Amino acid sequence: MKLHSNPWLRTAYARLWVRAKSIYGEPLWVAVNVGFPFFTSFSFTMVYRAYGLGAYAGFAILGGVMISFWGNVLWSMASQFNWDKQVGLFEIYISSPAPITAILVGMSLGGILGTAPSAAMVALLGWVIFAPPIHPFWPAVALIFSLTLASLYAMGMALSSLYLAYGREADSVNEALHEPVSLISGVYFPSVGAISPFPFAIQAAASLVPLTIGMDALRQSLGFPIKVPFIPLYIEALILALMALILLLASSRALRFLENKGRRTGSIAVRQR
Amino acid sequence: MNRVDTEITVQVDGLRREFDSKEGKVTALDGVNLQVRKGEIFGVLGPNGAGKTTMIRILSTLLLPTSGKAGVMGFDVAKEPEKIRAVINMASGAERAGYDFISARGNLWFFSQLYGIPSEEAHKRINELSDMLGLQGYLDRKFYALSTGYKQRVTLVRAFINDPKVVFLDEPTIGLDVMTALSIREYILKQAKEYGRTILIATHNMAEVDAICNRVAIIDKGKILACDTPAALKRSLGAPSLVLEVSPVPAPGSLEPLGKLDGVKGYTSSVDEERGLSRIQVVVDGDGSAQSVIDSVRKSGMTVVSNWRQQATLEEVFVALVGRGFREREHEVA
Repeated sequence: MKLHSNPWLRTAYARLWVRAKSIYGEPLWVAVNVGFPFFTSFSFTMVYRAYGLGAYAGFAILGGVMISFWGNVLWSMASQFNWDKQVGLFEIYISSPAPITAILVGMSLGGILGTAPSAAMVALLGWVIFAPPIHPFWPAVALIFSLTLASLYAMGMALSSLYLAYGREADSVNEALHEPVSLISGVYFPSVGAISPFPFAIQAAASLVPLTIGMDALRQSLGFPIKVPFIPLYIEALILALMALILLLASSRALRFLENKGRRTGSIAVRQR
Repeated sequence: MNRVDTEITVQVDGLRREFDSKEGKVTALDGVNLQVRKGEIFGVLGPNGAGKTTMIRILSTLLLPTSGKAGVMGFDVAKEPEKIRAVINMASGAERAGYDFISARGNLWFFSQLYGIPSEEAHKRINELSDMLGLQGYLDRKFYALSTGYKQRVTLVRAFINDPKVVFLDEPTIGLDVMTALSIREYILKQAKEYGRTILIATHNMAEVDAICNRVAIIDKGKILACDTPAALKRSLGAPSLVLEVSPVPAPGSLEPLGKLDGVKGYTSSVDEERGLSRIQVVVDGDGSAQSVIDSVRKSGMTVVSNWRQQATLEEVFVALVGRGFREREHEVA
């Protein structure tokens, strides 16, 4: 049988297709993907309005859009690999000639594709219902949005390898990470910069999460009426690009390391019986 | 039986694998040597915990040997795993690996892409293999909606999707009904016979080995005890074995004197709860030994309800080699 000249692309595309198709194959999950972030951002918007801070409403809607992706990174990227291991898919990947990076990139792109419509729905509903005042510079928004997703999903890939090492605790780690990271990353309010409620040390620690820098950069590029920049936009863009690159390399090396370790210790496969 | 080539496709020399455990080092494979040829269906037969799965995992590059060498198609498992992965495939009968919300066809297409197979060719192959296994009418069902038997058929289509030269199957028919198991065996036989694939099956199912394997290695506690064709192994016992049905069911340990009788190579027993009987299979070296076994059982207070001689089975070969049957061995290992 003739093998295709580019198995990397074929593997990545196939994994993307499986990821996206799985998300849409579960109607309840689609509803949760739209409903959960929308109602949370709706609540924050109402609170902002009740205190006469209507100009902040855009922060909450942007948060609703980005939290969909954050949730997808945690649940559908990081813990997915652990699930793959539990059901025996990981040993199928490893015993095939498929490059593991292609599988990870495919998972990421599939996650983005599967989450994008939900995020777009939150943005649309927020826009129509609350009409937040914004003055976006769209090319910057597109660039920052892409870089944020790239660094977020690269983080998901890195977490995948971490979760593979820790196994069944992955779900608990997800639970533990979701809310605190949402809080310090400033999903619904600026957690870094002049009006941050956090001391500088926490702001600095929060900046290690791509979501924090991404949120701040998106707030800047969308031109919200409240200007609370943390660091200049172009620097944030560079940081995001760098984070994506480092995390991508780290995840690839970590997975290779885990594969070799697994071959030595016998931990690649979970015995099925 | 299929025609077997002389080309060696799997070569194992002095293979040893240890695992760390709370109790210290556990030896799963202890100096295993074997050669498997092109087009051969080779069985690795042994009770649970004998080391079969460990061997398959090493050969399919999921596990490294502690010492010794193992090679597939001339490539070393430790040094050239990528080259091996391109020409093999593997599947476990216990696995239910697939994406639930994707159809069986979608899952199989996905797996084909891991080998870089062009989609058109992949779909053609999915259809061909599914036809052989009677899966065609179920290909468009979601994976979660398939029964255990059909999920297992999906797994076996996957195992041959990349036109592999060597396939490793771990208990391919475990937990399946008789008819499904039969159709899977026919499929495996066809894959070796018509396409010249080497298929190495790890199993504790003796009927399976008898039905489809050209050769079989009997393994226990990580060591290969015998390796030959199933017929030659059974012939090696010489005399037919003795089967006794006794009542009441013997107390634990009460059959141990049987193993010490002259001419008795080993025995195994099972309980027929429905009939309140125990069936004892004894490997003996002749008629005289058979009579002394019957006398010994009677002396110990049991009634021999019936007895007969039967041609040796592979389990009796195992009993002759180890002195105990699979069940007793698994119990000891546990």
